[in-house]
Amino acid sequence: MNEGFRVVGRRPMPAPAPAKKAAPKGRAAMIFLILLAAGCLIARFWTPKDPAYMDLANANKAPCGEFLFGTDTMGRDIFSMIFYGGGISLTIGLVSTAISTVLAMVLGTLSGFAPNWLDRLLMRLTEVFLSIPELLLVILLQAVLGKATPWSISLVLGLTGWTGIAKVVRTEVRRLRQSGYIVASRCMGGGFFRLLFGHLAPNFFSSILFMVVMNIRSAMVAESTLSFMGLGLPLETISWGSMLSLAEKALLTGSWWIILIPGAFLALTLLSITDLAHNFQTASARGQRNL
Amino acid sequence: MKKALWKLLKSLLLFVLSLFLLSAAVFYVSRLAPGDPLVSYYGERVEKMSPEQRAWAEARLGLDQPISTQYVRWLGQALKGDFGISYKYKMDVLEVISSRVGNTLILGGMGFLLIFVGSALLGTLCAWMEERPLDKILCRVGTVLSCIPEFWLSLVLILIFSVNLGILPSSGAYSVGKSTNFGDRLVHLILPLTVVVLSHLWYYAYLIRNRLAEEIRSDYVLLAKSKGQSRGKILLGHCLRNVLPAYLSIMAISVPHIMGGTYIVEAVFSYPGLGTLSYESARYQDYNLLMVLCMLSGAVVILCGMAAKALNAGLDPRLRDGEVRP
Repeated sequence: MNEGFRVVGRRPMPAPAPAKKAAPKGRAAMIFLILLAAGCLIARFWTPKDPAYMDLANANKAPCGEFLFGTDTMGRDIFSMIFYGGGISLTIGLVSTAISTVLAMVLGTLSGFAPNWLDRLLMRLTEVFLSIPELLLVILLQAVLGKATPWSISLVLGLTGWTGIAKVVRTEVRRLRQSGYIVASRCMGGGFFRLLFGHLAPNFFSSILFMVVMNIRSAMVAESTLSFMGLGLPLETISWGSMLSLAEKALLTGSWWIILIPGAFLALTLLSITDLAHNFQTASARGQRNL
Repeated sequence: MKKALWKLLKSLLLFVLSLFLLSAAVFYVSRLAPGDPLVSYYGERVEKMSPEQRAWAEARLGLDQPISTQYVRWLGQALKGDFGISYKYKMDVLEVISSRVGNTLILGGMGFLLIFVGSALLGTLCAWMEERPLDKILCRVGTVLSCIPEFWLSLVLILIFSVNLGILPSSGAYSVGKSTNFGDRLVHLILPLTVVVLSHLWYYAYLIRNRLAEEIRSDYVLLAKSKGQSRGKILLGHCLRNVLPAYLSIMAISVPHIMGGTYIVEAVFSYPGLGTLSYESARYQDYNLLMVLCMLSGAVVILCGMAAKALNAGLDPRLRDGEVRP
C-alpha cells in the first residue's frame, strides 16, 4: 500500500552557479582617464606647440600634418591646447568636488543631528540656496575675486555643488543616529567631528560615493558650459570650455574641428567618469530575479 | 481637517519666507557684481556722458542710494505688484516676461512631458529585458547620451542639420513675420526639443529601470507568479505600480533641472524664452528683470521641492516629522 512513499532525504538541488566574476567594468574608462591625466600632467614636455602662441598666418586651419587637430580662429594649435586645457578642466572638477563633499558631509550631518526645527530651517535654506541661479553666483565671484581663474571657478562650483550630497547625508544620518554605536559614542563624550569622521562617514560614504564621483562630472560640465557662454574662464585661460567658446564663430565658417575635437574629449572624459562611478554603484550584486 | 489647514498655512508661510530670503540674497548679490546697469538702459551713449548727466541718470533709476534703501523701496513696490521697468526693453518687467514665458513653457513643457512618458516606457522596457542584449545596448546608448553636455550636443546638431545639411533652422522660435505659423514654429522647435529630451531622458529611465529591478526581486512577485499571473501583468500591475509614487516625487524635483537645461539650450539656440532673458539680464545688469526672473525660478524650485517632500513623506514613514530622537 505504502509502496509509493519512501523517505529519501532532501532532494539534491543543483548547486547555485558560482557568480561569474565579471571583469571590472570601468577598466577601459580607468585606462583612458589615467592616460589623459598623465598626458595633461606632462603636457609641457611633449606637446608640439606652445598652446598660447597665436600663429595668425595659420589661423582656422583644418587638421593636417603640422597641426594634428587643426588650429582655432586665433591660430592656436588645438592638439596642444587639448592637453593643457584638459589639465585645467580636470583640476577644476577634482578641486570643486573635494570642497563640496566636505561641505556636504558637515552640513548634512549637522542637519541630521539637529532638532527638528533647526533641521527644517537648514533644509529650507538649502532649497533657497539651490534656487539661486548658478550664473549669478559666478558673476558675484568675478566681482569678489577679480578675474575668473581656475581656482576661483573651482571654489564657486564647490560652494554651489554640495546640496544634493548633503541631502543624502542628512537622510542617512537620520537613519543611523539611533544606532547603538552612535548613541554609545555620544554617551562617552564623542564630539561632532569624531562622530562624523569616526562613525558616520565610514557608514554612509558608500552611499554618497556615486554622487561624489558624479559631482566631478557635473562640475566639469558646469565649467565648460559657463566658459562656453562667456561667463567662466576667459579665452586666454585654456580649458575645454573656453576652447568651445569660439564655437559660435566656428559655426559661421563651418570649422567643424574647433567644435568637435574639444567637445569629443570632454564627452569621452565625462563618459569615463560616469563608467567609473557606476562601477562603485553596482558593486552591490543583485540576486536572482523573481519575475 | 484643522490639522491639514494648519499644515497648509505653515508651508505657505515657509514659502513666502523663502521667497523673501531669496529676493534679499539676489538683490544684494546682483548689486555687488561689477558692471554698469546704465549701459543696459542707455546703450553706448553712457561712455559720452558727463559726470553730471551720469549722476542725474543714476538718480532717475534710483541707483544712487545705498543698497539697503534700494531694496526696501523695491520690496515696497513689489508688494504692490509693481516690479519696475526693464532697463533694456524700457517696458514693465512683467510685460517683457509674459511676452517670452509662452515660448519657454512650450519648449520646457513639451520636453518635460516627453521625458516623463518616454523614460517610464524605456525604463519598463529595460527592466523587462534586464541583462538581455536590448537592455544592454539601450543602457550604453543612454549613458553615452547623458554624458554629453547640452550645449555641445546643441552645437553638434546645429553643425550637422543647419550648417552642413541646411534642413533645420539654427536659431529663434520662428522665422521673421511668421510668428503665428504653426508649422514654422514646429520646425524651429525640433532641434532644441531634441537636445532637452535626449540629455535628460536617460537619467530618469535608468532610475525606473533600477527601481523596477529591485522590485522584481521582492517576495510578492514570487507569490504572484505562483498564482499563475503573467509576467506582463506582474511587472505592470504590481511592480510598476509600486514604483510610480517614487517616480512622481522624483519628477517633481526634476522640474527645476529640466528648466535649467532648457535655459542653456535656449541660450545656445537664441530661442526667445526666459533662459535667454535670464542670461541677458545677468550679463547686462538689467536688475529689475533679473530679480523677477530669479524669484520666478526660485518659486518653481521651492514649490517642486515641497511637492516632492509631501509625496516622499507619504511614502517613507522614516522621513516623517516627529520621530524618536536619540
